Amino acid sequence: MNKAIIEVNGLAAGYVKGLNILQGIDLVIKEKEIISIIGPNGAGKSTLLKAIMGLIPISGGRLYINGNELANFKSHELIKKGIGYVPQVANVFPSLTIEENLEIGLWTNTKNSKEGKKEIFEMFPILFEKKREKAGNLSGGQRQLLALGRALITKPDVLLLDEPSAGLSPIAIDEVFNSINEINNKGVSILLVEQNAKRALSFCDRGYVLDQGKNSYTGTGRDLLDDPNVIDLYLGKL
Amino acid sequence: MIEQLGNGLLLGLIVAIASVSLSLLYGVTRIVNFAHGEIIALGAVLTLFFSSSPESSFLYLDRFSPLGSSFIVSSIASILLCGVFGALLELCLFRPLRKNNYGNVAVLVITIGLSIFLRHIFLLFASARPASYALDLQKREDYFGIQLTPRNVQVLIIGSVVMILVGLFLSYTKTGRAMRAVRDSSELASVSGINSDYIITLTWVFSSMLAGFTGIIQGVINNVRWNMGFLILLLIFAGSILGGIGTSFGAMFGGFIIGMLVQLSVGLSFMDGHTEAKNAIALALMILILLIRPQGIFGSKERIS
Repeated sequence: MNKAIIEVNGLAAGYVKGLNILQGIDLVIKEKEIISIIGPNGAGKSTLLKAIMGLIPISGGRLYINGNELANFKSHELIKKGIGYVPQVANVFPSLTIEENLEIGLWTNTKNSKEGKKEIFEMFPILFEKKREKAGNLSGGQRQLLALGRALITKPDVLLLDEPSAGLSPIAIDEVFNSINEINNKGVSILLVEQNAKRALSFCDRGYVLDQGKNSYTGTGRDLLDDPNVIDLYLGKL
Repeated sequence: MIEQLGNGLLLGLIVAIASVSLSLLYGVTRIVNFAHGEIIALGAVLTLFFSSSPESSFLYLDRFSPLGSSFIVSSIASILLCGVFGALLELCLFRPLRKNNYGNVAVLVITIGLSIFLRHIFLLFASARPASYALDLQKREDYFGIQLTPRNVQVLIIGSVVMILVGLFLSYTKTGRAMRAVRDSSELASVSGINSDYIITLTWVFSSMLAGFTGIIQGVINNVRWNMGFLILLLIFAGSILGGIGTSFGAMFGGFIIGMLVQLSVGLSFMDGHTEAKNAIALALMILILLIRPQGIFGSKERIS
């Protein structure tokens, strides 16, 4: 059986002390899995990723990464533990060139900097073509690819993606999801937060439906897509 | 006006280096540091303190001159101490404020308070009279039509080399790149593996050392005063904003332009007898340029998506 990379038990966290957005979340991400988290606005999806990443304080519950309890670790230390994270907005350094953006991802791992960049450029040729351009000039889809590349260059075991399709054109969304698939095929687990629930569930191995900071439904992507309760509450009828 | 060109180059250089240090600090920490002028003055005052002879009456601690009269050693020690001072400001004051999510306006007011506090500390230890370093007097000579003393030329060369080194550091070193990354987004830098707090502390050290260096060359060219940093602060802000606040190269350029304009405007015929108004023309021009280019000369409008 694949081992768990991230395990979250009864996680409570929030932006303000005493006001928890997450109120006891349970979640497991195993090796090579794609996990989707869906739910209505304000359910705590992005907050969960931020709590795992150490960007907001965890006030209760437990967080294990590769078997070690690492709740409230600093973000930059978690990168060394094999976690990669792509925020929803402001996910590239706009005043840095594309190449420099990738080099920032190499801060923790300078040994294989040339190889690391080469791999990313092979995966995303558009980034190679524009490597001397400022990231601030890229289109939304290209920014998302650069953000994926910047996170991937740290060689993570798991990649946390916060709404990678937000604000993108249908073509760019396809491109981003194809890239995520490709990344997963290379053995990187994916934890995906998505508003586009149907697409996310049809794409993932397992899904979690969050509501008001709590687990609401859990199952394989297919099961959740067919679950009448989930359809009624979140997916809507066709 | 041409006779002011030499002075213009010197003031331009001072404002340019100070603007880079202020702009870098603002870019990385988002702190509008009104106490930056006092860090400039600290460099100058410390150098005077270390290098003045035991007979000096500028400092009340006049019988204490640990580094004798070696100006170079005193300058290096002062620049390093300015770096330490910057680190202490970050660790003891600005980091706790940041961790407690103090708003920008609150922090700005704190820097104004810090500026007034530090300025009066200088006044407490040093007299209100301007003082000069124990350097021999030099005559102005003609360099390609520009009137400068040999020491002024040395200052121009050293200052230009420092600016080039700063540019190379920010562009091509790993730490310089990390500073620019934290300037864009400290949160994204953190989740990319960079210890943002460490980079912010380094920025304080680097910026304060540059500010201290500016104070020393200002002291060499003119003299050392307790409020010398405060007097030049407005020009530094103007230079940073003109170039594009947060952009180091823009600040360098903007600072140089402002410094030059201030000094050159002294040579205008209608300024005869009104040289104290020399800042007016440069600052009016800054306002005009910003009306046309609100992001500053080198600031860029970014695509939002």
